[in-house]
Amino acid sequence: MNLILSAEGLSVGYDKKTVVSGIDIKAAKGQVICLLGANGAGKSTVLRTLSGLLAPVSGAVYIDGENVREIKRKDLARRLSLVLTEQPAPSLTTVYELAAMGRTPYTDFLGRLSDDDRIIIDEALAQTGSLPLKDRIFGELSDGEKQKVMISRALVQQPELIILDEPTSHLDIKHKIEIIRILQKLANEKEITCILSLHDIDLALKCCSAVMLVKDGKIAACGAPEDIAEKGIIDELYGIENASFFETTGAVELKGADKNDVFIAGGGGTATPLLRSLARLGCGISCGIIHENDVDFYSAKTICSAVASEKPFCTISQETVSEAQKLISEAKCVIDSGFPVGETNAACVQLIGYAAALGKPVMSLRGAEECKRLFGNTALRSFDKVSEAAAAAMLHAPQFNA
Amino acid sequence: MRKGFDMSKNKRALFLFLLGIGVLIIIFMLNIALGSVNISVSEILGCFFAPENVSRAHRSIIMNIRLPRTLAAIMGGACLSASGVLLQIFFSNPIVEPYILGISSGSTLFLAMVILGGYTFGFASIGAFGMFLGSFLGAMLVMLLVIFAAQKVRSVTTLLIIGLMFGYICSAGTSLLTVLADRDRIAGFTIWTMGSFSGFTWEQVGILYMVAIPFLFLSFIISKPLNTMLLGEKYAQSMGISIRSFRFLMVLISSVLTAIVTAFAGCVSFVGLAVPHIVRTIYKTSDNRVVIPAACIYGGVMAGLCDMAARLVLSPTELPLGAVTSIIGAPVVIYLLTRKKGGSL
Repeated sequence: MNLILSAEGLSVGYDKKTVVSGIDIKAAKGQVICLLGANGAGKSTVLRTLSGLLAPVSGAVYIDGENVREIKRKDLARRLSLVLTEQPAPSLTTVYELAAMGRTPYTDFLGRLSDDDRIIIDEALAQTGSLPLKDRIFGELSDGEKQKVMISRALVQQPELIILDEPTSHLDIKHKIEIIRILQKLANEKEITCILSLHDIDLALKCCSAVMLVKDGKIAACGAPEDIAEKGIIDELYGIENASFFETTGAVELKGADKNDVFIAGGGGTATPLLRSLARLGCGISCGIIHENDVDFYSAKTICSAVASEKPFCTISQETVSEAQKLISEAKCVIDSGFPVGETNAACVQLIGYAAALGKPVMSLRGAEECKRLFGNTALRSFDKVSEAAAAAMLHAPQFNA
Repeated sequence: MRKGFDMSKNKRALFLFLLGIGVLIIIFMLNIALGSVNISVSEILGCFFAPENVSRAHRSIIMNIRLPRTLAAIMGGACLSASGVLLQIFFSNPIVEPYILGISSGSTLFLAMVILGGYTFGFASIGAFGMFLGSFLGAMLVMLLVIFAAQKVRSVTTLLIIGLMFGYICSAGTSLLTVLADRDRIAGFTIWTMGSFSGFTWEQVGILYMVAIPFLFLSFIISKPLNTMLLGEKYAQSMGISIRSFRFLMVLISSVLTAIVTAFAGCVSFVGLAVPHIVRTIYKTSDNRVVIPAACIYGGVMAGLCDMAARLVLSPTELPLGAVTSIIGAPVVIYLLTRKKGGSL
């Protein structure tokens, strides 16, 4: 393995006060390594130390086997470049002039650009798709455009390694993805190693070749995202309590109220929008009968106070049905999410009839005709929109009936 | 149009440099020609090429009074403007300059101690170089205090207020010294503290030029690392700048440039602030390789103009130079502060 940066038993911090200790890192050519951790966990301190801007409290960082604090600044600038969170904007500097500053470690004392320098600058701007912006004033660009230009500027230094501190914060989802794509491309095509910190856990798990989890002044885990992302590790990393992160899908769900006002018959992803809509209104929800390999299961698990679930790929057992019936009898009303009906979940159709028989108000998101076909003459109200069904259900929830 | 962008920018810069030099020459001539006695241009030129054709009185006015004064004003303006550029980048704050940060006042205080203290201890007079050293010590001291304060505050406006307070403290010290000192011996000292290029001796002009030229040249030499500083210290460092020694260099150069002017001309306010901004605006660039030489030229123009105005507006009464430069410079500060971003470099 071709090591670019390495450190063993590194402790970082300010003025001898350790912020994070016991850092072991080995960054190979073309790797994208991501630091994850809560705000204030010390990610920036780690990155600043790795880049040689900050002296380690103990241990040392090696770049190409040399101690980063002992490499001459100018030599280091040809191997390592930075993209920082702050975007200082000299008001009259064009994109091209800004990117050209990256040639500083190569040019003469007046910073005159040779033809080769100009080619390198054009290429770097093209890499991030910023070439069309080159005559624009940097300060007038959008945040996303600015960030791409700053990456180009880093590339102009022709580094082996780029260290980026939260390159995607403040960006919209389109630009977040673009930035990550650019970094992946640089790593894969130009074999530039990227070490960065991110707040977008889902992006990090999907795009980086290695992740380091920073928690409580230590590296909680380090390795390939597939190996790290066990259930619950992210909740623990960030100390999330009233929500839950699903490593498989990369989605965050907020916990709902701990009561049972509405029962939702769901499956196949149809229940999730309803669950979110009702949870937002402060409604307590139960849900059933959901197979444990269903997308709805992931969201229901967090949002609902109770879920009647069945093992993956099994026909619904009588036991689960009675569990669901119990939830229905406790709830004030029932909503049919319009779930697809197949052999394994035929029992769910029966639940609607059961609810109606108990005299519970029943709402459905299916068309009237389909309702008639599936549920016969069961009394129910049919809705087109999730929000309308949710609003109707809220009328039956106790806090609105006072 | 796109393709020619770079080209037209260079052309614009070249044109503005030539224009600036042209205006500077005109101001230079006018400053010598105009005054209580008007002297013709042919007499001025005659002074250098055929001195025997010029009347003795006029020659004396030119050679002993107006020429050293004009030379001093032009170079003084250049020094203050270059110092302003450096300080603005050092503090990454568009609204600082030697006077606002209290550096000029610190200079004045130390100079007052040297001069007035010198009288008290029986020295008949202090040499021009001694005056420069005293003023340099004062400038450095206040500079270091302001840097220390700047590390505690990040706000543009707070730093400004701290600088003003340092300025007040130093001015108060100077006033105290003035009151305590022998009245007869400080004639003119008070006027001098308000800034004036009058009464420059050839010895002082000599020292001003000997110190200023190498340091102005130095400030031009460091214009490339100064450009990287526009992105902040961390970026500058990551592009290969040794930040510690570079910071020291910036402090040294700006202190020397401020001190050399203050030593002989007192506190000349706002030139160091207004000129860099005017230059950036008309040249449409933040590139210090252009801004620094341009600030020197237009700094000379502005100081020359202000000095001329100070002499001529209420002639024969001479206005304090500081009053004239403030009338021009202070509105620039207000404009920058009221703009949405608080101005930028």
